[in-house]
Amino acid sequence: MTRTNAFGDELTGPQEQLAAAYDLLERVLRDHSDELAPFEQRNALKALAALWHVMDGLDLDPAQVYDLGA
Amino acid sequence: MTDSPYWNPRHETMPRDRLEALQLRKLRSRVGWATQRVPWHAERLRAAGVTPDTLRSLDDLRRIPFMTRDEWMAGQDENPPFGHVLAAPADVAIRYHTTSGTTGRTPLRVLDSMKDWEFIAEAWCYGFWGFGVRPRDIVFFAFSYGTFVGFWGAHYACEKIGCLVLPGGNMTTEQRVAMILDMGATVVCSTPTYALRMAQEARTMGVDLVSGPVKRLILSGEPAGSIPATKALIERQWGAKAGDTAGMTELGTIMMFESENQPGGTHIIEDHYIEEVVDPATDQPVGYGEMGERVVTSFGRGFIPVLRYRTRDLVVKVPASTSDCGRTWDLYEGGIRGRVDDMKLVRGTNVYPRAIEGIMREYPEVEEFQVHLYTAEGIRDEIEVLVELSDGADVEAMTRAMAKKLADAHEGLRIDVRTVTHQTLPRFELKAKRLVDDRTLIGGQGEKRTQA
Repeated sequence: MTRTNAFGDELTGPQEQLAAAYDLLERVLRDHSDELAPFEQRNALKALAALWHVMDGLDLDPAQVYDLGA
Repeated sequence: MTDSPYWNPRHETMPRDRLEALQLRKLRSRVGWATQRVPWHAERLRAAGVTPDTLRSLDDLRRIPFMTRDEWMAGQDENPPFGHVLAAPADVAIRYHTTSGTTGRTPLRVLDSMKDWEFIAEAWCYGFWGFGVRPRDIVFFAFSYGTFVGFWGAHYACEKIGCLVLPGGNMTTEQRVAMILDMGATVVCSTPTYALRMAQEARTMGVDLVSGPVKRLILSGEPAGSIPATKALIERQWGAKAGDTAGMTELGTIMMFESENQPGGTHIIEDHYIEEVVDPATDQPVGYGEMGERVVTSFGRGFIPVLRYRTRDLVVKVPASTSDCGRTWDLYEGGIRGRVDDMKLVRGTNVYPRAIEGIMREYPEVEEFQVHLYTAEGIRDEIEVLVELSDGADVEAMTRAMAKKLADAHEGLRIDVRTVTHQTLPRFELKAKRLVDDRTLIGGQGEKRTQA
């Protein structure tokens, strides 16, 4: 099923993949942050911070991520 | 898609009804966040009866109390160093910045997280991309890289876009001009004043900037980027297009930018901000085409929620259709017109520094100037413009013409124009302060001085 944004618009394939990448990063950082080496955790956070703005720009209304450290 | 003239084509060309729906959604979310995380906001919002659910339309925004710099500063004093505005623990922050401190007051201190810092660059990306800056560009920053947030976000925006960034901190003006030429910079970022200063230095060095590599200047930090005479002078001296932007430390970044078609104003970044314009005396909203004070609500930096912040900036909002660039975002015609407290009353006449600059910049021979207010004979307001003219200028004819133009623009008010020797007046890299008010009384009728 195609993912839709807050307006009910369907995402394109590449947009959907970017959103999935964000979701995956967010989940890894939320569930496994303590298991990650510094280089894994900090680079993942930086990527999450950048992709947050893709989610926002696509009207996918990402939640705040300060609790994850971003 | 990468050849799009827009950084975010969806948001920048979104129909107004959808844009307003987006703003309302973000407003509810931001009010919820502020209520949940900032007791100071929570108390004020509760007292006003505002919850996310009670915000049914953008008109409901007006139920939110104004936020002022004085309150913010008072909070900093009571609870140093950051006051009562933080929505996240300080240890999540990666950046500390401050206001420029040009008013002489204690600066505001702000923090940003990784995600906020990305936002700060993101807002600048709208501006750079919208003015035609692309990954192939080489961008020089004539900026000192101190704690003042200034062009920091712009630097990171250019990295994000993929430009080659030349950080010009800790350099003399001569070294900066040399580096721009040596490295073939195609874009230069500076204040309008400093763009003129660099052009002046280039002339001293015998360098012709017009035939140089610079194609675009991105200006910020002063209203002058949208004063037609100043902008035209900068464009002439550099042989490049100049685009205005405006931002503030309280938001961390810009909230408006000029698009490449140069529509005579700056587009408001309306997917990240709601910008109201109100009468500064009555607090009531003013319509399109009327001058008033900017009041900003930001959806960007989450670390410090900003709801209905009184900026003291004077602006004139006009509809998006004023520009033919295809954006649906409204504009501020003429950018920032000045500050609410910039206006001076001299012998009953309103004097705006911007209007004086507009006249002085009509004369390319003006190298620097300063507006000086003083009290004569212990009672009378006087105003004079001190001016440094380039060699060869017909001083007498020019100062007479200037004085006449200044008087004509100010209801006949006598404004003396006096030349001073070269390098007498201060030069500025950041925000220029060209008005010196030495009056011991204001208004000439015994009105007591209330501000420096």
